[in-house]
Formats: sequence, C-alpha cells, structure tokens
Amino acid sequence: MSGTERKAGPTGAAAEVAPGLPSALAGIRGELEKLRAGIAAIEGRLAAVEQEEAQAPAKERPRRYYEVLVAVYERGGRKGLDADAFGAVGKEHGYDRRGLGGFFTGSRAPLRRQDGRVTLSVQGERLVDSYLVTLGGEGE
Amino acid sequence: MSGAGVVVTTEWLEAHLDDPDLVVVEVDEKPLIHRLGHIPGAHNLDWRTDIQDPRTRDIPGPAAVRELWAKLGVTRSSTVVFYGDKSNWYASYGAWLFRLHGAKDVRVLDGGRQRWVVEDRPLSKAAAAPPGAAPLKPKLDPGLRIGWREIPAAVRHGAQLVDVRTTAEYIGAVISEPGYPEESAQRPGHIPSAIGMPWDVMLDPSGLLLPEPELLGQLAAHGIDPERELILYCRIGERSAHTWFVLNEVLGLEARNYDGSWIEWGSMVGMPIALGEDPGDAAELERLAD
Repeated sequence: MSGTERKAGPTGAAAEVAPGLPSALAGIRGELEKLRAGIAAIEGRLAAVEQEEAQAPAKERPRRYYEVLVAVYERGGRKGLDADAFGAVGKEHGYDRRGLGGFFTGSRAPLRRQDGRVTLSVQGERLVDSYLVTLGGEGE
Repeated sequence: MSGAGVVVTTEWLEAHLDDPDLVVVEVDEKPLIHRLGHIPGAHNLDWRTDIQDPRTRDIPGPAAVRELWAKLGVTRSSTVVFYGDKSNWYASYGAWLFRLHGAKDVRVLDGGRQRWVVEDRPLSKAAAAPPGAAPLKPKLDPGLRIGWREIPAAVRHGAQLVDVRTTAEYIGAVISEPGYPEESAQRPGHIPSAIGMPWDVMLDPSGLLLPEPELLGQLAAHGIDPERELILYCRIGERSAHTWFVLNEVLGLEARNYDGSWIEWGSMVGMPIALGEDPGDAAELERLAD
C-alpha cells in the first residue's frame, strides 16, 4: 500500500491516514471516538432504566393519547417525526404544544427527543402494543 | 412486471394494485398495526410465525415456503412487493427469505408503510382475496446466506464482515437495542474484524432509501470496499436483511446475510469477541476454523 492507508475507524468510519499525520489531529479524532463511545454507553444505561420503568402497570389514558403514540410509530418509521410533523399529529388529535409536552415528562414518558426528532421510548412502544391489542382485526 | 426497479415507489404501487401478477405482502415489527388498515389487497405476515421455522431457530424450509406461497398466490409470473413498519426492517427479511428460496421478482416499497400512510394513500381492512393458481416451487439459493462455521474461511478468502447494529451494540455498551430484552445474547461486543455500519445510515430522515451515489458514499465513509464479498449481520438477521437488500439487490454487490447473527455468535461458548470501537483482528477467527 502506498502513500495513504484507508483505515476503518471504531464505528466503521473510515479515515485517510497519511504518514506523519500531525499527532494533534489524531488526538482530536481519538477524543471524538471516546465521546461517541461514551454517548453510546450512556444511551445503553438510559435504555436499561427505561426498560425497568416500563414494567410497571400503565395509567389509563384517553383514546386520542394512544392515537398520538400510534401516529408517531406509524408515521415516524425508524428515525421518528420532525417537530413540524409531530405538531401536526398533536393538532389532529386535539393537543396543543403544552399538551404535547406532557408526552415527554416523567420517568415513564412515552416519547423522547433524539437528534431533533420525536420517537417512542420503550414505555411508548409498550403502550402502542397494548392499544393495538384492543383494536379488532379482520374477521374479529 | 416491468417498469420499476427492485425498489418501487408508492405511486408505482398504487398504479399497479389491480395487476393480477402483483402480490403485496406486509411484514411489520408490530403485526397488529395491520388492524389500522393495509394497502388494498395486501397479505399480512407475522415475522415470528410465518417467516420463521416454528420449532427450530431457522428459516422455514421449502415445504413450508411452498405452503406459504400457495396461501399468498406467489407463482412463476408474480411480482412480490414487500413493505412494512420501522422503515421496512422486517419486510426486508421477508424479501431476503423469498429470494433465498428462489423467487425471482421480489421488490420493496420505498419508505414502507410509513410513506404510504404519510401520503394518505388508500388503506383497507378487507382480507386479501384467496389465490387460485399453482404456487412457485421453492429452490434454495445458498449463496445468499452464510452460517457461522463458514465465516472464518470466507474472511480468510477476502470477505469483509459488516455489523449493521447500533454503535452501542457494536462497541458492547448494550447487548440489544432498548425494548428487545427477549432478543439478548449472552455476551456483548462484535465479531472480530467486523466494521460497524448501522443499517439505517442507508435511509434519509423520512425513511426513504438514499440515492445510489449516496449509498456508495456511505460504504466508502465506513471503510467498506464494495469489491469484496460482504457478510452482514445484526442481532437476529433482520436489520442485516435490509442492508443485504440494499447491497445485493439495489447496488448489485456480493453480499450474504448471516442470519444467525449476534444472538447466536454472542451466546455460543468459546466464540472470539471484540469489544469497543476497534474492529479487532480477523486472525482471532482462525481458531474456529479447525
């Protein structure tokens, strides 16, 4: 291999590593990788806590509450809804901004914001599952 | 059926819903979401019971697939279009399984259920009509799948392992993604030498597949050489089926799905495991070769 070497980074990110790369740059990249790993570890711990909280029985909520959660699940896909789309879902189901804020509060909040998008928490996933069970299917 | 690639748009699908050769199949992580309505004429498959062997942890065999295809009406002339929730995570597994068993024309709806719903396209609660024609006979294509025993030799011959789970799973901070406690392995980490590239980097924020140049850009950015054979895995083989579809079917690369995935590798006694951000050394796989 000549000149440069293509090297896979920790999470797969590739970097051109030239001979004599200034150590400061390598150091910064190393710090960045540590930060990413740290964030992943914190997310892991957060998920474990969420999972534990989600075991407790859920409080009874109005139908529209569940419909908001289903809409976030169905319309958000893997990456969730952006703020505008989430606002529109809330409005469609009679929630103003303040009302929507309630979906994010408390240790058992069904929604969370991640990278500026709204997704279901573990508790939210469970509430959607329980709501879908109450709906009749084909021939039921 | 012609006129579209392996990834079809919502417009194309809606325009072809009355085509007798079209078989639309919905596979969701939450199969009950089907109760809210489905694409008119679509069949609903439960990924836990319909596209897995009910007893052994394995794919369904040819007899079971033939029975499934009879139920769905998959014939020699069928175009099968899969779609589902979670940006086609589970639907892609169905597409991989059908291709593995020899179905030729298998496609995926871009954006999946999410896109169809967001665009307010028609949904139906009516059951799909029962098919009449004789089903296609399954013929397994072993080149689309790989088992753990074959991995060391494949890597020795130049294959690249790609781990498509989240970064937290890859580095070993968690064993499974939040909300999947029943899909846990015994140990965290990744297969030595595997590059981490989360499957959803192939999607834009709205859940649509990125254009081809950007897909290739993602491979380059993650240090993946598209000229090498690629072995994909995740936790149980479904997210990696999505990446398989993108690499093999959309980009025409050589990719195989290791559907045993982390739940198998991370649970067996004596398997080499790498932790943290470093991909680790492929030489560690050699002790499995004997």
